[in-house]
Amino acid sequence: MVFELFRRGDAAGLEAAEAKLIQMLADDRHSFDVATSALLTGADTSLVGPDLRETDARVNLAERELRQALVVHASVHGTSRVAAILVYMSVVKDVERIGDYAKNIFDVAAQGINLSDAEDRDVLIRYRDRISSMISEASSVFADDDRDGAADFIREADILLDEFDQHVSELVVTEREGKEAVPRALLYRYYKRIVAHLMNLLSAVVMPLDRLDYFDEERVRP
Amino acid sequence: MIVISLLYLFLVGVSSLEAGIKALGADFQTGLLERVDHPLAGLFAGILATVLVQSSSVSTSTIVGLVGAGTLTIDAAVPMIMGANIGTTVTSTVASLGHVRRGDEFRRAFAAATVHDIFNVIAVAIFLPIQLGTSFLSDTAEKLADALGASGIEGGKTDSPIKAFVKEPVSWTKDAFGSLTDSDEVLGSLLIVFGLVLIFSTLAFITKSMRLLIAERVERAMNSLISRSGGVPGLAMGLVMTIAVQSSSITTSILVPMVGSGVLTLRNAFPVTLGANLGTTITALLASLAVDLRAGLVVALTHSIFNLFGILTIYPVPAVRAIPVRLAERLAETASKNYLLVGAYVVGIFLVVPMIGLVLFG
Repeated sequence: MVFELFRRGDAAGLEAAEAKLIQMLADDRHSFDVATSALLTGADTSLVGPDLRETDARVNLAERELRQALVVHASVHGTSRVAAILVYMSVVKDVERIGDYAKNIFDVAAQGINLSDAEDRDVLIRYRDRISSMISEASSVFADDDRDGAADFIREADILLDEFDQHVSELVVTEREGKEAVPRALLYRYYKRIVAHLMNLLSAVVMPLDRLDYFDEERVRP
Repeated sequence: MIVISLLYLFLVGVSSLEAGIKALGADFQTGLLERVDHPLAGLFAGILATVLVQSSSVSTSTIVGLVGAGTLTIDAAVPMIMGANIGTTVTSTVASLGHVRRGDEFRRAFAAATVHDIFNVIAVAIFLPIQLGTSFLSDTAEKLADALGASGIEGGKTDSPIKAFVKEPVSWTKDAFGSLTDSDEVLGSLLIVFGLVLIFSTLAFITKSMRLLIAERVERAMNSLISRSGGVPGLAMGLVMTIAVQSSSITTSILVPMVGSGVLTLRNAFPVTLGANLGTTITALLASLAVDLRAGLVVALTHSIFNLFGILTIYPVPAVRAIPVRLAERLAETASKNYLLVGAYVVGIFLVVPMIGLVLFG
């Protein structure tokens, strides 16, 4: 402990917070991939479950550690970094929630639902693949503080949100049985929430602090 | 380089203070001594002076300067040094008030701040009577000064290359002020003010500079503190950090929001606080390098020994160690339910009681 005062070494403060956030996103992507594999490709839930729980525990621990690190950073540096600290405090919640929605997707599979033979499987998997990529893209855009990348991401994500809403609306009025409509509606809902949280994360790149999670048309217009 | 220059200017300030007091003459020195002759007067003067300057480093350096000039005896200075220990805790106590809007957070933060006060009060309650009855602390300091090879010429001047290097600018300053006035009182006052300004400003800049320089390392050390129990490593961390930034208030002010937010427990923060208590004595030791009399070094060593023995008495045994922690928790619990008590505590302990004490015993 006292030797830390004499060591140069690993990044501290906000750099460490960012590194932890990026790792959380990597874990989120893993959770999302394994959860959707159980629902969409018939992966054995008894094998997927422990992996998912372990990853989720890691994400939750990382969230707590990141918050602790931010408190230490604020205590040492005072108010000079308050804006950045508040940003990380806000976005870490969005990142943690992505993992939670991955668990929700797994819970649907754990109920015995298997969409690997569904006629709309290709559509669901296409969305799955796109969202999985988007988690990694969001991670890179945030790490690079890429304003143009964030604006492009938010525009595409906004279109996806509308598509998910459209699918849910169709399922609300469908004549399909409940056990076919409800899992799909839930899945689109969870897809939507994951993409929305990624948008919230990247709003920190383009929006001022007081307007995190809100989107100014002017700032994301091409 | 900047910090070394500032340390040099700090020593020049202490030496100027010493020169100014000497220029004021024997009558002033006798008068000052009479006012703090009673040990409780000295204790309360130490508390009040430190509260006013918000830095035990400044007040203890000044005391060393006064002793070095022959104005204060060691016996008169020791209670003042102990008072400085108590007075310096006002900074973190006031810092904890920033959490007052959130009950649980304030309770934890206030406990983190007041555990420092309570430890110092207990240490004074134990060791002031011992010192007054046996001169144990100052005698131990004398022996240590001997062992360190300080040339203990009674009432004479010590020779050291550092002092020689520091005396030059003081001579120039004295000559410059001397050209403005024929009065020894005015000359002495100018040198004292100059010395105090230099002490105060250089310590402030040192603290600020070092804080920036080592902030990242402090942050890493604090992060590692969270995940482990404090103990002796925590104590060492508080010691090293405080020596580096030359301020125990900086160290304890970092701990207060960490404990307040709940990421660090009071029990883990406590040893860091104790380390800070000991680490801050380095400034008085540095100041003693710039004064004429060996007594300055003895007082500085007494400061260190007092804090060290306080730790050795209270910290090693878990049941004893828990006393200041539990008292701080109880005080904080009560204070969080009645904010008037908070104001009464801060104003009472750090202002009213010392002022009344000075009137009664001074």
